[in-house]
Amino acid sequence: MYAEQREPEFGWTDEHRGLRETVRRVLADRAPVARARELAEAGERHDPALWSELAEQVGLQGLALPERYGGFGGTLLDLAIVVEEMGRVLYGGPFLPTVGLAAPVLLAADGGEDGPDGGPAAEYLPRIADGSLTAALAVEAWGPAGEPVVTATADAAGRLTGTAPVVLDGGDADLLVVAARGPDGPAPYLVETGAAGLTRTPLETLDLTRRAARITLDGTPARALGDPGRGAVVLARARAVSSVLVSAEQVGGMTAATDLTAEYARTRRQFGRLIGSFQGVKHRLADMAVRQEMAHSAAYWAAWQEPGTPEFAQAAAIARSYCGDAFLQTGLDAIQLHGGIGFTWEHDAHLYLRRARADRALLGSPQLARAELVPALVPTVPARSTTEGIPA
Amino acid sequence: MTVTEPGTEPVTERVTLAAGASDAEIIAAVEAWLRAHLPEDWQAAVARGDLAAVEAIREDPERGPAWFDLLGDSGLATPTWPVEHGGLGLPADRGAVVTETLARYRAERHNRDFVGLVLAGHTILEWGSPEQKAERLPALRRGREFWCQLFSEPGAGSDLAGLSTRAVQQADGTWLVNGQKVWNSYAHLADFGLLMARTDPSAPKHRGITYFLLDMRTPGVEPRPLKQMTGNAEFNETFLTDVVVPDSARIGPVNQGWSVAITTLMQERNGLSGRPAVGPGEADELVARAVGNGSWEDPVLRDRLLEAYVEEKVLQMTTVRSFVASGDAAPTAEGSIRKLAHSVLAEKLGVLGTDLEADGAVAWDPAEGSEAADRFLAMKTYSIAGGTSEIQRNIIAERVLGLPKDPDPERHLPFNERGRG
Ligand SMILES: Cc1cc2nc3c(=O)[nH]c(=O)nc-3n(C[C@H](O)[C@H](O)[C@H](O)COP(=O)(O)OP(=O)(O)OC[C@H]3O[C@@H](n4cnc5c(N)ncnc54)[C@H](O)[C@@H]3O)c2cc1C
Repeated sequence: MYAEQREPEFGWTDEHRGLRETVRRVLADRAPVARARELAEAGERHDPALWSELAEQVGLQGLALPERYGGFGGTLLDLAIVVEEMGRVLYGGPFLPTVGLAAPVLLAADGGEDGPDGGPAAEYLPRIADGSLTAALAVEAWGPAGEPVVTATADAAGRLTGTAPVVLDGGDADLLVVAARGPDGPAPYLVETGAAGLTRTPLETLDLTRRAARITLDGTPARALGDPGRGAVVLARARAVSSVLVSAEQVGGMTAATDLTAEYARTRRQFGRLIGSFQGVKHRLADMAVRQEMAHSAAYWAAWQEPGTPEFAQAAAIARSYCGDAFLQTGLDAIQLHGGIGFTWEHDAHLYLRRARADRALLGSPQLARAELVPALVPTVPARSTTEGIPA
Repeated sequence: MTVTEPGTEPVTERVTLAAGASDAEIIAAVEAWLRAHLPEDWQAAVARGDLAAVEAIREDPERGPAWFDLLGDSGLATPTWPVEHGGLGLPADRGAVVTETLARYRAERHNRDFVGLVLAGHTILEWGSPEQKAERLPALRRGREFWCQLFSEPGAGSDLAGLSTRAVQQADGTWLVNGQKVWNSYAHLADFGLLMARTDPSAPKHRGITYFLLDMRTPGVEPRPLKQMTGNAEFNETFLTDVVVPDSARIGPVNQGWSVAITTLMQERNGLSGRPAVGPGEADELVARAVGNGSWEDPVLRDRLLEAYVEEKVLQMTTVRSFVASGDAAPTAEGSIRKLAHSVLAEKLGVLGTDLEADGAVAWDPAEGSEAADRFLAMKTYSIAGGTSEIQRNIIAERVLGLPKDPDPERHLPFNERGRG
């Protein structure tokens, strides 16, 4: 699916560094946190001008898509760098839902170089690459072994009926990738936004920088994606990729929240001293730095593994477990160390905490991620018995 | 290529590995060397997973040292040391691949050699005189000398620079050392000790210390084993009474011992977070144990185990990352991040290990012992030895995050005027 990563783990190249610098510069200029807040308060989904520019001038949407689909053939690692940078500034546009959640399913379902031309990947991925199409992934919930739990069911004619209660960007995306139960088990389907029987109900979101909707399907015409019978594999592969990208976003958020808090501790005075000179403050910040370093290692170790391998799947689940918990704790600590100002609407600290909680639910909880490690770790124990009663 | 150092006849050719060799190339070269040199019964024991048999060879008074001579002269025991000192001149992450490969054959140096091989080795490489390098490094490479660390004192632990053991230079240039050290692991078995002593009491505490490589057989050096909470007696209090130390044993300039100590301490923190490889660890062992005794069926315990497993893996990844990032550079304050994470994890694993046992590892058959209890009792080592977790948090906050230093009213006072305010 993605180009193979050749350098050994953590062997950053000049290209990686250059990419990070470019993305950081563009975002600092066009999408600082203040801009995310401005858009959220105005009730805007995103900045469409920036979206086009990211596609046309920086080439981010197509960065890791194959060249035959109008992309630049980059690696998942390249994409992780981009998403981490977006996470730092709480960028909330369609990038993660489109490139991080929906496109991996299209890619995983695609036959690859040797596959038939003219399939859904060939139809939609070039439009994602050029910025003209946004997409969302609709899943009702994730089950104990990482499989989608679906109430949406496909009938013989491929029409879907069911509900996905929370779909990131689901109310606005141009295309829906829906995990549903087909004749051969869970499988991805594509639903066009004008399709009959599709209802998209906008929801209020905890993460102010992102929008979400409830998706209801009632005999909605859909198109099966990929080979029949491979659906579960496709969804699992895509989900591992998405886990790495969500982890990278969490690393970005965590890094920014830690920097923000360290900066405050270096400047705010109480009792005639900088608060950063109190050990209660220093030590909490030191723990934040430890979590950030560890989370960074987890996300990028996973990004460096070869997609589709068992090592990749395990590393992705490890990253999702660690980064999900770590970002939440850092979000809490950031507010704590800011005191009263940290509890205000105007301060950015709560935006990070909101993002931390929301990201943690995107692909199933950290506890669920840990349960997903079990089949490979303890092959004799059936997955089902290990995870009963774990909330998503 | 072979090197000739005074007093040593190399017992084998040095292995050559390129600094840019890939993991696969290094592993292949080391394995080929091991297949050619590792005793056959050792290889066979590794192949059938008989670790007790391997341990017996490693600890054999004849065969153990013979193996470590060979390993030392091959350069594989010290892959990151410069070539002229018998190393392979590899960057940290490449050297780690060598050590990992050795470890898979249980052919790597003993853990108890850490103070010698890593702390003394790097300190001498960085600060030693040509004579000290020539005299000490060959034996360190081969594991022929056993080392201990004589830093802590009853009155100076976290505040190590506050140490008061005195060294006074005599008319003939030798130093007369008097004082008491404490918590010195294996000092009763050691040939040499890394010693810091006060040489200028009228200077502020960090600026009046000198560092020595002490021959533990010198008259007046008296280690007395102290029984630890584990029941073992591995660390000591060490009395130093009118110990005459030649000036040739001084390492680094007079009164600049603190700078030398920084090298030692950084290496120590860096080395205390586990080896740089992602693979089976202690959590994997606990998972296997839990599955074996049925405690895995408890969903709460299972999630705690998985949480520790995730943390251990992420720490391993972080260690790999720091080795790759550091290359040839000396370790930095970031080593404190891993040391802290490791001590937090060690405690989790120590407690979990006892929770897996039906009886909580509170009683056991004397003939069998209890590994869970042993580990439980040893786990607090990591958050105290090598600088406590509080001190690591201070270091991270100050050096990594740039927060203000803790107030230390005595820092700039002459050492002998402290405590008078
Ligand atoms: C198993 C083991 C092996 C050891 N091996 C060796 C060895 O081989 N050689 C050697 O020289 N030493 C060795 N040590 C000693 C070790 O380095 C010291 O115990 C350690 O540095 C702490 O010093 P202390 O014991 O004097 O405790 P103290 O410094 O008195 O600390 C007591 C408590 O106060 C806290 N504290 C102190 N200062 C601060 C501060 N500024 N801010 C916040 N909290 C603070 C500490 O964190 C700790 O919780 C060993 C220790 C152990 C447990």
